[in-house]
Amino acid sequence: MREKAEVQSRASVGVGAAPPLLRVEDLRLYFRTTQGVVQAVDNISFVLERNQALAILGESGCGKTSLARAILRLLPRNVHTYSGRVELDGVDVMPWSEERFRKEVRWTKISMVAQAAMNSLNPVLRVGDQIAEPLMIHQGMDKQSAWARAREAIQLVGVPVDFLQRYPFELSGGMRQRAVIAMALVTNPDLIILDEPTSALDVLTQANIMNVLKQIKRELHKSYILITHDIATSSELADHVAIMYAGQIVEWGTAEQFYPNPLHPYSQKLMASVPRLREERALDFIPGRPPSLINPPQGCRFAERCPSKFFQCEQEPPMIEVRGGRLVKCWLYR
Amino acid sequence: MSNDALLSVKDLHTHFELRRGVFGRAGFVRAVDGVSFELHRGEAIAVVGESGCGKSTLARTILGLYRPTKGQVLFEGRPLDGDLRWYRRQIGYVQQDPYGALPPFMDVHRILMEPLVINGFQGDRERRIREVLEEVKLTPVEDFLYKFPHQLSGGQQQRLVIARAMILRPKFLVADEPVSMLDASVRVEILELLRGLQRSHNLSVIYITHDLSTVRYFAERIFVMYAGKLIEKAPVQKLLQEPRHPYTQALLAAIPDPDPANAQTFKKIPPGEPPSLVNPPSGCRFHPRCPAFIAGLCDKEAPPEFEPSAGHFVECWLYR
Repeated sequence: MREKAEVQSRASVGVGAAPPLLRVEDLRLYFRTTQGVVQAVDNISFVLERNQALAILGESGCGKTSLARAILRLLPRNVHTYSGRVELDGVDVMPWSEERFRKEVRWTKISMVAQAAMNSLNPVLRVGDQIAEPLMIHQGMDKQSAWARAREAIQLVGVPVDFLQRYPFELSGGMRQRAVIAMALVTNPDLIILDEPTSALDVLTQANIMNVLKQIKRELHKSYILITHDIATSSELADHVAIMYAGQIVEWGTAEQFYPNPLHPYSQKLMASVPRLREERALDFIPGRPPSLINPPQGCRFAERCPSKFFQCEQEPPMIEVRGGRLVKCWLYR
Repeated sequence: MSNDALLSVKDLHTHFELRRGVFGRAGFVRAVDGVSFELHRGEAIAVVGESGCGKSTLARTILGLYRPTKGQVLFEGRPLDGDLRWYRRQIGYVQQDPYGALPPFMDVHRILMEPLVINGFQGDRERRIREVLEEVKLTPVEDFLYKFPHQLSGGQQQRLVIARAMILRPKFLVADEPVSMLDASVRVEILELLRGLQRSHNLSVIYITHDLSTVRYFAERIFVMYAGKLIEKAPVQKLLQEPRHPYTQALLAAIPDPDPANAQTFKKIPPGEPPSLVNPPSGCRFHPRCPAFIAGLCDKEAPPEFEPSAGHFVECWLYR
């Protein structure tokens, strides 16, 4: 297992091979606020291959949702800095105009299941109209063919076709979440960004949705970016894991590498705070709070909460490659 | 049972009437439908169930916020009826959403002073406020006394809600999803705080949650609730290691631990969704979804409580 994973991550460095589905390089997204500039996404780089799922894990306020929005260029008005490269199939789409990006990328190549989207369905429109809408808006399809595609999409997520005729309030939470996933699938994108897709759902519904997502990945060869704070659930889907802290990725590795053996002190603490059902182990928590993203500390951003802090942590650590192509932003591994 | 029961709940039913028009009755939502148990002094019980199973209604009936349709709640042998002020002084309530539970225009000092004033606390009120802030580790106290809820982090807000619940030195705490809105690392801190308070004050706690994985760190017994009924009651270890009810088994199997192997397998999930509480299924309420369904029995007659091993109770015909 491990060997295979190594080969995969090596390949993702991509020398000579076909370009990866998505390559993000030095992506920055800063917001202007009355208190100062918030560095929500700070210099993030990663690669995502086809038919792979990348889980981006972090606590609230670490910038993981901003990262998703930066990739899909869903920006608020108070943007201060938006820079870096976002390459899709080897083509940098950052210079593209908003019009071209909307037509050729958003919902065509990358779609998104936004956080709590199931509660943002339009209450006065039939579910079917809402699933068909992206096709009509982004691909200029007529209503009839859009509905035909909506019927296919809703079946993929395991909802009976006649639910398309219903209104959102007539559906349970799990059914609405599936409808929202169908909405992200209907345009047949390569990549779906899932922002906390199960966090408001019950345990059984959650497991059900994870089954659906796995099925879609297996059968339709989709890629996912799964954004969540729920580490246990992320392992249901992830091929690779990126840990985010204070606007930066601090660790990157395959699922096989990461879950049994996280490297960064923050990842280790985070993992130790996850309650286990099948294992008796004491829980740990991380004292203190994450730093403000307005004036983040100069050196390592986790240093003031880190149990292994030493003199070098006053300087910002680089991304250091350790065995098996894992990356960790920590001086302990230099 | 034993005489150290702080709270006894006897055949409790809480139904809500559905009305149609002015005089018409459309039926009842049977949110709590025949629940009995005893809570001992110093004991923590977790009530686990999915949304809509009636667990919050159970909590609110026990708190005296809803009047039961049938059955009784006894606190130290005294029934809850009429004026409940004597009772409210002895119980604390920790809500799910700390920010929603705190008045935004009051500072910490005032939030904690209110219950002392309302209940006519005799003694040094300022000292009590300081004490309770130290107990929930909002220290140094001076830094927090005059802050408003929006100036506190989620974890600190929840500590304040706990401080408010503890300020009258209650014997009994009801915590409704106290950590579900918090990040994983903060969650552990709050659970440890609650556990610590429970032990140092010999508190009885009812912990309402949908999250089975945190329960073992908190409670002595787990009750599993499904469609208004407590279908399984057992000590934590017994329930986690040997779940008896098919619903409990499904629930446990659905919860992942962080493990890369999870991505390779699909989970077996009982088909369908929890039933409506207006017209629950006949017989056992889980029977339409149950993999071990016995035709002619489970769909006809509601199972009574069986005790397959000492202290482990389950409402399921498999254990007849």
